[in-house]
Amino acid sequence: MLRALDKYRHAFLIGLQGNLIYRWNFAVRGFFSLFHLTVVFILWGAAFGGTERLGGFTLNQTLTYFVTLLLLQFFISAFNEDYQISEDIRNGLINQFLLKPINYFGYRFSIFVAARLVSGSLVLVPLLVALPFLWGHLAFPAEPWRLAVGLPAMALSAMVQFSIAYCFGLLTFWFLDIQGFVILSMAVESVLGGQMFPLDLLPSWAYATAQYLPFYYQMYFPAAIFTGRLSDPAQIAQGFVIQLIWVAILLAVNKALWVRGLRRHTAVGG
Amino acid sequence: MTYYLRVWAASARYSITRAMMFRGDLLVWSLVELFWMGVNLLTIDVIYRHTDSVAGWSKHEMMLLVGTSMLIQRFLMGFFWSSLFEMGRNVRTGNFDFTLAQPGNVLFMASTRKLDLDGLMNSAIAAGVVIYSVRQLGLHPGPADVALYAFFVLCGIVIHYSVLVLSISMVFWLSSAQGVEGGYFSMTEFSRLPRQAFRGVVARTLFVYALPVVVVSNTPASSLLHGFNPTLTLWLAGSAAVWFTVAVWTFHRGLRRYASASS
Repeated sequence: MLRALDKYRHAFLIGLQGNLIYRWNFAVRGFFSLFHLTVVFILWGAAFGGTERLGGFTLNQTLTYFVTLLLLQFFISAFNEDYQISEDIRNGLINQFLLKPINYFGYRFSIFVAARLVSGSLVLVPLLVALPFLWGHLAFPAEPWRLAVGLPAMALSAMVQFSIAYCFGLLTFWFLDIQGFVILSMAVESVLGGQMFPLDLLPSWAYATAQYLPFYYQMYFPAAIFTGRLSDPAQIAQGFVIQLIWVAILLAVNKALWVRGLRRHTAVGG
Repeated sequence: MTYYLRVWAASARYSITRAMMFRGDLLVWSLVELFWMGVNLLTIDVIYRHTDSVAGWSKHEMMLLVGTSMLIQRFLMGFFWSSLFEMGRNVRTGNFDFTLAQPGNVLFMASTRKLDLDGLMNSAIAAGVVIYSVRQLGLHPGPADVALYAFFVLCGIVIHYSVLVLSISMVFWLSSAQGVEGGYFSMTEFSRLPRQAFRGVVARTLFVYALPVVVVSNTPASSLLHGFNPTLTLWLAGSAAVWFTVAVWTFHRGLRRYASASS
């Protein structure tokens, strides 16, 4: 069992090295994210201009939500994993995985974990630089249980994120170019994942519907636990159940797409 | 000048023919642009469900501002985005040699290789958002107001183009363009904010006065709302000239570092 896992440890280490080469790109991306955070602070600061609370939360609670979201984005989001998988299929690089005793999903997931470890660590640098400005606005609830509950939710969110990216990558078996689908999905994810605004600001029927969609569990769910937007234990427990169901569904879809996709795949040459 | 127009027309013809060959792709990418515009409008709708005013701007004034910002961005996407995005990749792979070998100004050749029909098609939708907002606000702009608005949008395209060239030119100093084009999107996010939202000396100095990102959309939108303002006009036209010069200079400085495919 351990020997079987050892190859994924190597894949993880290769991923770590590969992503460290692009450390400046991640750092630049992290720096640009501060611009996004500035936009968020200015927009929501202006929106709170005449009122103390929006949707039951103060300005600082809302800003804390967006800072948490930024951090989560670099630690668990799929950046270009779909594109990498797509390139593997298009260029025939996937053939080598068909001949070796290694699971392609496991290999890609190991590299994804390594990549997020690098990007997540690097985004801490600009955030630490900005900390003197952010500190006065951060309003995290002082409840340690949120960390204990939020971290597993975060890990499952990473699975949801990666599985969706993996699905899109595998669509290359059927379509020449998947970038359109990916960016189309990003638009949906940005709204239903809570990146544009906290989902609890939606009308109640829309918020209730969003809770049954996978996008809710991509980032909003752990962010809402960490920042106090979700406090009801029953609601959190229900969230975990739905998140687990989505992980299972997405893994099953991953498997089905892989099996069906390989039937269409043609490998030529050596 | 005529030569460059002919080159651009030839590239446009090629791009249109290619887009017609891949009609499914055109449909998907048009939907992509449409969805992203929808995301921005939905965000406005959600915020205004909880408040009546953002920095003194009503919901439809804000829609006019965001519509203007989208209009400028769609034009940029339609005319320049694909070419410049590809330039970033080509510099890394060495395929930029092909552009350098073409008989003409390098930046022009690199900027105009492709035309995106989806971006241009969606500029009509963005214009629709502007017209809808103008109607909802009960404004009746005359031909001179529309001409002034069009001039401001043109200045905005020049500024957006310059910021994009500056972002992509970073690839000459970095090992990959991955992520750096995000600089353009980060900067243009500011163009969807009203100028009055920037409070404090640092925010005002940096984002309103030093960087051109706020003035680019606020000036055209304000011209429709409040009429001609000579100071804002000079400011926008001057910003367009200065930022274009800086972008061209940076691109050529970066070009000196390009080591070709043999590196």
